[in-house]
Amino acid sequence: MSDLATGERMPQALPAASAPPATPRRESAWRRRDRRWGYLFIGPQLIGMTVFVVLPFAASLVLAFASWDGLSDLSWVGFENFTAQFQDELLWRSIVNTLIIAVVTVPIGLGLAVVIAVALERLKTRALYLVLFFAPVVTSTVAVAMIWQQMFRADGVLSTTIANVFGIDPPDWLGDPKLALLAVCIVTIWSSLGLNVVIFLAGLQNISPSVIEAARIDGAGAWRLFRSIRLPLLSPIVFFSSVVAFISSLQTFDTVYVLVSNAGPDNATRTIVYHIYDLGFGKFQIGPSSAASVILLLLTLVITAIQFGAQKKFVHYEDDAA
Amino acid sequence: MARANSKMRRLLAIGAASALAIGLAACSGGGGAKDANTVVWSTWGTAEELTRYQDFNKEFMKRHPDITVKLQPVASYEEYHSKLLAQLASNTAPDVFYVGDDKMGQFVDSGRLMPLKKLMESKDSQTKPDDFFPGLFGAAEQDGEYYGAPNDSNPDVLWYDKTALAAAGITEDPAALAEQGEWTTEKYLEMNAKLKDAGLTGSMFWNYWATHWSWLSSQGLPAPYDESGAFTANSDPASVAAIGELGSQFQDGTFVVADTLPDGAGADSIFVTHKAGFFVQGRYTIGTVQTAGEPDAYDIVRWPTPDGQAAPTGVAVSFLAINGKTQAKDAAFTFWTEFLSAEGQTFRLEGGGNAVPSIKGADDVVLEDGYPAHAQTFLDMRDIGFTNYAAEARVPGLSTGISDEFLKLYQGKADAQQTLDAAAALAEKSGK
Amino acid sequence: MSLTNPSLVDGTQLPPTDSTIALSAPGYRPRAPRTGKGKRRLSQTLLHALLVVGGLAMVFPFLWMLLTSFKTLPQLLKDPLSVLPQPWTFDNYADAWNAVPFGQAYLNSLYIAALVVAGTLLTASMAGYAFARIRFRGARVLFILFLATQMIPKQVTLIPFYLLMTQLGWVDSHLALIVPGLLANPFAVFLMRQFVLSLPKELEEAAIVDGAGRWRIFWSIILPNLKPGLAALSIIVALDVWNAFLFPLVLLNTPDLFTVPLLLSAFQGQFGSVNYGLVMAASAISTIPMLIVFVIGQRRILNSMAASGLGGR
Repeated sequence: MSDLATGERMPQALPAASAPPATPRRESAWRRRDRRWGYLFIGPQLIGMTVFVVLPFAASLVLAFASWDGLSDLSWVGFENFTAQFQDELLWRSIVNTLIIAVVTVPIGLGLAVVIAVALERLKTRALYLVLFFAPVVTSTVAVAMIWQQMFRADGVLSTTIANVFGIDPPDWLGDPKLALLAVCIVTIWSSLGLNVVIFLAGLQNISPSVIEAARIDGAGAWRLFRSIRLPLLSPIVFFSSVVAFISSLQTFDTVYVLVSNAGPDNATRTIVYHIYDLGFGKFQIGPSSAASVILLLLTLVITAIQFGAQKKFVHYEDDAA
Repeated sequence: MARANSKMRRLLAIGAASALAIGLAACSGGGGAKDANTVVWSTWGTAEELTRYQDFNKEFMKRHPDITVKLQPVASYEEYHSKLLAQLASNTAPDVFYVGDDKMGQFVDSGRLMPLKKLMESKDSQTKPDDFFPGLFGAAEQDGEYYGAPNDSNPDVLWYDKTALAAAGITEDPAALAEQGEWTTEKYLEMNAKLKDAGLTGSMFWNYWATHWSWLSSQGLPAPYDESGAFTANSDPASVAAIGELGSQFQDGTFVVADTLPDGAGADSIFVTHKAGFFVQGRYTIGTVQTAGEPDAYDIVRWPTPDGQAAPTGVAVSFLAINGKTQAKDAAFTFWTEFLSAEGQTFRLEGGGNAVPSIKGADDVVLEDGYPAHAQTFLDMRDIGFTNYAAEARVPGLSTGISDEFLKLYQGKADAQQTLDAAAALAEKSGK
Repeated sequence: MSLTNPSLVDGTQLPPTDSTIALSAPGYRPRAPRTGKGKRRLSQTLLHALLVVGGLAMVFPFLWMLLTSFKTLPQLLKDPLSVLPQPWTFDNYADAWNAVPFGQAYLNSLYIAALVVAGTLLTASMAGYAFARIRFRGARVLFILFLATQMIPKQVTLIPFYLLMTQLGWVDSHLALIVPGLLANPFAVFLMRQFVLSLPKELEEAAIVDGAGRWRIFWSIILPNLKPGLAALSIIVALDVWNAFLFPLVLLNTPDLFTVPLLLSAFQGQFGSVNYGLVMAASAISTIPMLIVFVIGQRRILNSMAASGLGGR
């Protein structure tokens, strides 16, 4: 390979306009071919996505305007499912619960994961720690439910410790509507931490050691290395994780499903996807269930759009693609 | 040359991605065969139960060499119905399938189940309508027609722990009292109070329809739904008072909702370690108490009543139905009737079975082991018991919705009137 | 055909060769070296202490799962909160293995996971590379579409998806799990795009100057540099496929085709007590392949450290 790729990083990408011009005809030929390569490269996933995700979802979209229990004939009801959903107090509660889960778990979960990944990266024993942090990911959900239900009991270890330290009544996490959601947040962070650490560690590996070395020679301390080098260079991956974490926290289901029965006390842990599943498969109301999922999709789109808007400020790319 | 090269690579790119997909087309399993002599049936169940069903299939095919039977097992109850819904929606449902008692009404209403009355009365039938205990049809019976029959049953009996009762200073035996017609609500609540004073749990219940509606029926009160299916318990002062009494027992901790206990350290553990007096469950409890090693410490008794005489209480059942669109009608019915017949139920339940037959003539499987001492109680309770009200089972999710309201009562967040009003509102809302 | 000016293609200029290393991280200013070994050792000890405590909190349920799998049912019922098995029993493993056809399910899950992982690595890194580095019309819109599909809760598409599989004749076939698995993973595409974006651009520029085609660049330059990302993706996809429950449950009818999670759920009945020893033994059995995948995968991630980024060649 040429010496262009010997390890030095180039500075911030320059705008395309500053590139020197070439023979126009050649450029367009190359570009045309390149464009085709682009379509070819995304082809398999594009086709798969269209057939296996977009198509079924389009069907759900259609069903959002129908009254159907999956068994009998369906009838069209226009926007009735949507108006009914918007008036359904349960949907609003699900949305609020879900947003709380997202806002609590994403920053804390990712923050912890970045710190742990950076801390682990330099340790010789990091493989051992990594296995520990990854353990929740491979622990069976039954075991997870057993342990955490036990922990969250009023007479469980967690509650009695808190009670002793703060001198309060031992909290009954899963029985108290105010605490049940917090319990779900804790378990969510706990169970997703390992994967995020793995992704961040992989991201840190993409940072050229020479960059770090150079900064170190220049006398940068650990905090400065983290703040000025690692974090910015990791930011595309952090951005990715925050987008994905938000999307998946908006789809919180499994944790609620296994941890608390019937969406917790007074629907305190009912999430949107739980609401969708309950309507569709618990109550056989496929129309309203589809309508709720459209609402969820719109909500997610808005939040993701905000994130993409915000990334321009915080995310550092090797070039100006975003 | 460069052009050719790029074409090659392009081919590679497409090829690499699609080769996997195309190459795999060979290993397709294919759906269930649709012909007149193949019966596909589906159910949920534990590994043990599913093994027994496979054995039943083998025996059946020995008897009927011309019929092929295939089981589509789904282990989990909830997801079983999700799958069945997807299958029915796409017309690929099995020929014969189980339906849970909380879903049966909806399935009947949809018209997707085969009407069975004529077939049941035919000469080839081993399962005449009268062979079953009448209270167990519930939502499977509509306007004199049958759309399914109970596979087997599990009356919710009061299991009690003699060791715990003795520890609380209780000298009387509930089953003995019942035999003398003296097993009254008063006695029962008295025992519970003593258990609580001794630092033990009085009774543990699962929070579902059989608990709250059995409490009403055992107290001599009318069913919560009237003839037309409308919810009326909230406008009956006696029912409200009785539910208030039930609620207060939970609120002061004498009764405990088993569902709210953690997995793995739940009601079973409390019961086998003699920390509770009563545990309201079905026959499957035998396995639990035998594993713990002291089966003789436990016995069963019916629900207490104000006058000490037996009253109908809830029986958990599941139904077996035939797909209305089956291509193998005759074979499907042959399978259906043999599966539910006294012989079929005996085959399925004997030797450590965990349920009670729903049909006459198979009671030996309950009595053969002589355990528990009053095993006859299972049969007596089944004979007069009832399954979930059709009005409630007709609306998917209604039963759990009402149970959620009752949980608020048990946790002291609502009173009896509010709870029953909320239940009435749920029933009315879904009745539309 | 060789390209004389790559900068036009990608819109970037060649970096100025600078002896003071050009740092791409913004906000970096050199500073005087710091000393203090004692302080460092202290902070190291503190770090280890924190990591050990945190790690134990993370691993505890896993250990609990293992310990429970060696407990007898009477112990589980009578003393559910005890930590150590007393006595230790290995029967749960034998019983769990014999109660259901684990062997067959293992093979099924393994080959499905292997194919989906291999396929996803290829298709997702291709798409990710295209979205990150190739300029083509509609790229932005298509990328947004990809992201949007990630936002669709899978549960809601279950019935339409099942109908589609019926039409394709893929019900009760592993195809229904494999093909959509490897061809429709927006998460993977997004992850790969981000990893490609974090690679320096000059990597491929040189190759473009040399006249290499996109496929060659992708295959021999991008992929080798994506190893940490690919390893992370493998772990994630393998886990997803291995643990998938609802869709396999609905799509597969014949017990011989079942995957491991479908068998696991057979140890928990609707009624009666659950033998948690058996459940945990079965869970532990089903966990082993994922642990192996993880150990191999994390080594790939961590060991690429020495050879990471540009140092790889």
